[in-house]
Amino acid sequence: MASKEELLELLKDGVINYKEEQVKEASQQAIDDGHLALEMIMDGLAAGMEVVGDLYERHEYFVPEVLMCADALYGGLAILRPHVPKSDSDTVAQVVIGSIQGDVHDIGKNLVKMMFDVAGWEVYDLGRDVPLEKFVEEQLRTDAEVVAMSAMMTTTMLGMKKVIKMIKDKNPNVAIMLGGAPVTQDVANLFGADGYAESAGNAVQEGIKMIGRLREFEKKKER
Amino acid sequence: MAELTPIERVQRFFNREPVDKMPFFSGMGMVLLPAIKKLGYNFPSVHRNAERMAHSAIESARMFNLDSVVVPFDMCWESEALGNEISLYEDSEDILYPTIPYKNWTEVDQVEISQDDIDNIMDKYPMNLLPEAVAIVKKEAPDLALGVWQLGPFTQCGQTIELDKVLKAVFKDTARVEDILDKLSDMIINIGKALQAAGADFITLREPGVAADLLSPKTFRELIQPRLTRIMSAWKSPKVLHICGSTDPLVEMMWQIVTDSGGQAVSFDIKNNLLESRKKLGDDAIILGNFDVFGLPCAEETTVEQAIEGIKTNIDGKVDAVWPGCDLWPDIKEANFRAMEKTAREYHTGPTPAVGRL
Repeated sequence: MASKEELLELLKDGVINYKEEQVKEASQQAIDDGHLALEMIMDGLAAGMEVVGDLYERHEYFVPEVLMCADALYGGLAILRPHVPKSDSDTVAQVVIGSIQGDVHDIGKNLVKMMFDVAGWEVYDLGRDVPLEKFVEEQLRTDAEVVAMSAMMTTTMLGMKKVIKMIKDKNPNVAIMLGGAPVTQDVANLFGADGYAESAGNAVQEGIKMIGRLREFEKKKER
Repeated sequence: MAELTPIERVQRFFNREPVDKMPFFSGMGMVLLPAIKKLGYNFPSVHRNAERMAHSAIESARMFNLDSVVVPFDMCWESEALGNEISLYEDSEDILYPTIPYKNWTEVDQVEISQDDIDNIMDKYPMNLLPEAVAIVKKEAPDLALGVWQLGPFTQCGQTIELDKVLKAVFKDTARVEDILDKLSDMIINIGKALQAAGADFITLREPGVAADLLSPKTFRELIQPRLTRIMSAWKSPKVLHICGSTDPLVEMMWQIVTDSGGQAVSFDIKNNLLESRKKLGDDAIILGNFDVFGLPCAEETTVEQAIEGIKTNIDGKVDAVWPGCDLWPDIKEANFRAMEKTAREYHTGPTPAVGRL
């Protein structure tokens, strides 16, 4: 029987080296052996993804590698997440996420979604090419604290401004995150957004930093 | 000295012969809203109607004194010809380019590009409209340089199946990806030849899906460079290679593709460090692009003065012509764009690194 440390290492290594089967097997083993699922997620899967972020930042990994690492992470998450006790997994918050109308690119959106999934958020993924009004409707329906929108092209970016106005008019407390290649900090400020990630890669870095902060938070809770 | 016509200016430019003034043109989408409005068209209606497309392109060039006319405007043509449905967003009040909401092939191993697709792509709708549009432009605007473009095989692959699947398959199923890229390259060669035969004066190969923020330079060298070289070698000159996104690590390889294929110029978007690229490539390389197609001509807060400064910065970056970093965003502010054209012509009257002056 593998020790907790060995399983954590298998999970971490599996995510870093995109070994999806290894991650699935180690996740199942962890559950069968009675280890804490949340610890496996945070110190195994999420810890591995932090290393992936570092490799990306050092230009050792590029988007294909990150996508394969994300597949491995999701393979483990699907097994572990249902075993996180309700008291541990009290939904942190809710986010409505999607690619804006006219944009069928969703790589960046899906990487940001991964960050929210790992962090235990309730994610309402509207997909891509999402009509502007749909973001507003979904936010009102779910009362989500965050709305995250992605646009890969300048040609679709302007729709974000309309959505932000529609949402803020109805609910000024909603935090709006923008992402995508043409979105800059200036654009985010101009549109009235609360945060931005400039590209899929940047989303990875930002998302992984958030995962890192979440891990620190979980550790503090344990003390 | 008599002023050159736009087509003479562009032809001489690509031949590295001295020109009268800085060319101001593009080889990528440049359909502009004021021109469409003047013609009484709405945006969705100009994409799959050869006459409207040609007239919109001509009017866009004429209205703002551009040296070139470019067709087409959107990136869905080949994918539609291969059987995918596109969305034109006919009910939207916003400017939305056509997209492919759902692709018939969901996995890389489902992709089936037949020899008939490759050989007879120009007979399939909507590709059959393109030579028609080219012919109309050639007939009605013979004084303007007529540019056409094609997506590179990797980006085109992402138009036929989901890009994330392609990206992962680069590692998981390399042989399959290579086979698809080879078939798409054959198809792209045939399309480019057909458009040149129809009357295009120059062609741009655009491969935004391979920038260094997506693929590694190693993958670019091994998987992409040989295919882009093969495609460009098969086309007549003048020909330009453009890549959007992070290109600083790719600059030398891009220029090698251009020189190995007998091409003329390389083009970058706003993320490129122009001065560094000039240092790397030397004064012999014709370098284009890099000006911000949204920030300068369109952004609500950008003043005319700022737009002018943007073009001066672009020229100071040692480009050989003022050429946008990507498709021009249609909803330009007329005053900004007119000032940008005027600045391009007047700011720097001497030779550029690679092209002299009359």
